[in-house]
Amino acid sequence: MSASPEAPVIALEGLTVGFGGAPVLDGIDLELRPREIFGVVGETGAGKSVLARAILGQLPPGGRIEAGRILLEGRPIDALDAPQAARYRGGRVALIGTNAKALLDPVARVGDQIGRVLRAHGKPDGRTDRRSVRDRAVALMREVGINDPERRARAYPHELSGGMAQRIVIAMALAGEPEVLLADDATLGLDATVQAQVLERLVERSRERGLSVLLITHDLGIVRHYCDRLAVMRGGRLVEVSEVSRFMAHPADGYSRDLLAAARARPALQPPRKSDDRPPIVDVRDLTMHFQVPGSPQPIRAVDGISFSVAPGETLALVGESGSGKTTAGQCLLRLLDNTDGRIVFDGRDITDMKEAAFRPLRRHMQMVFQEPYVALNPRRRVRDLLAEPLALVEPMTGAERGRRVAELLAAVNLDAAVADIRPGELTAGEQKRVGIARALATKPRFVVFDEPTTALDIRVRAQIIDLIRGLQSSMNLAALFITHDLNSVRSLAHRVAVMHLGKILEQGETRAIFESPREDYTRKLLAAELPIDAETSEPASAGSAA
Amino acid sequence: MPIREFWRRQPRLLRILAVRLALIVPQMFGVTLVAFLLIRLLPGDPARLILGNFATDESIALYRQKLGLDKDVWTQFAIYLDNVLHGDLGTSPFTSKPIIEDLADRAPATLELILYAVIFTVGLGILIAVVSVVRRGSAFDWGARAYGFAAGAIPDFWVALLLVFFLYTVLGWAPAPFGRMDLMLAPPPRITGFLTIDALFAGDWEAFRSAAGRLILPVATITIVNAGAVTKMTHSVFSEIWDAPFVAHMRACGVPERQIIRAALRNSLPPIISVSSFILGFLLGAAVLVETIFSWGGLGQYAVQAVINSDYAALQGFVLVASAFILIVYSIADILYEIVDPRIRT
Repeated sequence: MSASPEAPVIALEGLTVGFGGAPVLDGIDLELRPREIFGVVGETGAGKSVLARAILGQLPPGGRIEAGRILLEGRPIDALDAPQAARYRGGRVALIGTNAKALLDPVARVGDQIGRVLRAHGKPDGRTDRRSVRDRAVALMREVGINDPERRARAYPHELSGGMAQRIVIAMALAGEPEVLLADDATLGLDATVQAQVLERLVERSRERGLSVLLITHDLGIVRHYCDRLAVMRGGRLVEVSEVSRFMAHPADGYSRDLLAAARARPALQPPRKSDDRPPIVDVRDLTMHFQVPGSPQPIRAVDGISFSVAPGETLALVGESGSGKTTAGQCLLRLLDNTDGRIVFDGRDITDMKEAAFRPLRRHMQMVFQEPYVALNPRRRVRDLLAEPLALVEPMTGAERGRRVAELLAAVNLDAAVADIRPGELTAGEQKRVGIARALATKPRFVVFDEPTTALDIRVRAQIIDLIRGLQSSMNLAALFITHDLNSVRSLAHRVAVMHLGKILEQGETRAIFESPREDYTRKLLAAELPIDAETSEPASAGSAA
Repeated sequence: MPIREFWRRQPRLLRILAVRLALIVPQMFGVTLVAFLLIRLLPGDPARLILGNFATDESIALYRQKLGLDKDVWTQFAIYLDNVLHGDLGTSPFTSKPIIEDLADRAPATLELILYAVIFTVGLGILIAVVSVVRRGSAFDWGARAYGFAAGAIPDFWVALLLVFFLYTVLGWAPAPFGRMDLMLAPPPRITGFLTIDALFAGDWEAFRSAAGRLILPVATITIVNAGAVTKMTHSVFSEIWDAPFVAHMRACGVPERQIIRAALRNSLPPIISVSSFILGFLLGAAVLVETIFSWGGLGQYAVQAVINSDYAALQGFVLVASAFILIVYSIADILYEIVDPRIRT
């Protein structure tokens, strides 16, 4: 179909965008054909997002088109007259961004937010009275797969899950009835199952309405499943443009081959540990955490009676979708939250009701690597101080000693010593993760909770972090609880897996057993939601429309 | 827990109102206690002060008994509380009228002045902040910054004198700074105590024009001095929101700029509410210099008179009424605060 000789909807001719220094986009030539789903892949910093913003005519502050043109149906977009330009954004080309929750107005009802876009573009059919706008907004919400849209339209963004918020953003994009959708990492950070549902819905709607889609992602699995053609982007240039099927068989460019190889890599399963008689370092019985929420008589059963144990040197993976209670369980374990019921035994001592003063000395033995390092690291302090801070709490040491320990920690997580003098904001996402890990390891703990250490990272960076954790585990003989929804990293890191759903553990066992012969339907659904890069594996689960 | 469940099922607005209104009772009790104790802390024996140096010990003891000073503190407080609840704040020896009447005479003058002043202060402050954020880096933006910087440093009486000098004395545009209304006109029948509103009720256009005209200079003075604070606060909140991803996303969806500004402003409301309520409470006493210059005859001037005359009963009455007013203003602000931000759990 993509070989049709039809004129392109959007064409870029030598598009070059700069922010004063070196160009961020460097001579991009690209054609988006009618009804085509076109993937743009590349790692963080390749210029993918700037590309989408440039097409929308909304570059970040300081950005400027230095050369080249953007053509919409053959006409340069800067030549559009005022009413056409007003229609352009949202009405002809619409953007679906990353991190939907931040894209929604926090104090407006989501139905009204869709309504604003409908009004702006005079949809439906120029009628802007309250009733028809609301009906249309509800219809759009139903169209993107939201259950009970009449009620959900009255919700505020903070009351929605990430997947639900993403659907609202898609509904907003569809509201202006555009011809082109720019999906900029639209499902980044969503669970695999939700990601599959959202993408499925997005692609289905686009095909139905005959839209052209520019699907920007760093996940080749997504491209392989949904796109007709793709472009590989690196350092602001397109290194390869190709049909997806041809690309998967014979990538032409060396960099493309690297990307593909990294995506194809299926790490060897972590072999089961030799069982020994040592008592578990962490033993949890019937852990329960209920939150009372004002406005609702029922408590939220975030964690609902789970039991597991971790032996010294062992890694247990806790997998499940967001909202399943994984992170809450991890926080209860470290007493960052006080569980409502159940016992937690650490190293033979019941720490559940231990007084803070008595528990404090134990904290150095149990640490946490937080999910979002940028949020967990104080942005105003240098890496050196961030790493020295936990050291100072453990034992008195001289400045020189501390400096030596900081250098050791940086070396342990494969960071350059020069990193010590900069602040977290200047680090890449992967480096931030490493600093987060180093900070947790500063007190030489025996047990670490890793909360989603690999989400939202580029595939090659992800592999590096996994290697790092694996190395650290064996060299320090760490016991770990590994909280994640990234199944690939579970394969290579975990000795055992526990599958969590709605606050309960559905099944747990050896990693191999869970991956090869899962007992529960839910586990099978979770495993199937991975978008495999190779054709012979199963199709993605188009599981229902429940979000 | 059926009560708890019943409570949680109530609409959010009702829960917010119920909590805030219930809190007013103990808060008002605390205010009364403080107003009572404040006067007790003053040095000297009131009976001796009143009877003078030549009074005998017996006459002082007798007078103390008459004043109820021989009873213990809590009994005295109970009596005071009882009086307050019956609207009796005592009688001023200087105006020889019940203090509650004096206050009721003067309160509308001050309230009218500061309510209009706060409306203009907040309106102007927000307008300046929004325009300077939307046109970042423009001449207006720089001008607004300079104003925000300078406004906090200008004394209000100086602004008032400048306005009077130029607009009344030199140009003759503004009416004379002598009170709330032309003395030749009959004031409209009292309904709210606000001359502008009462004049409208009475359909008396001449009185309305006079009252509104007299308001211009004092309101302008307070606005010029205080709008800078609102500008600075609004600017910092609004500019942060203006850079938020959801604003960029609305723009990407083609939502008109005017509507984006409205949405961003709606998000900036909570701190604006806080600062507005603070200014309103603060002006009740702080407008006294402006009141004096314009011979306004308001509460602030009354309080200053009371201090000068050592009229403690009047002062106590002023403290009580002013605190009650501020308490009400802050409660309203708290309620609004929770209403405008759906993320606050109640």
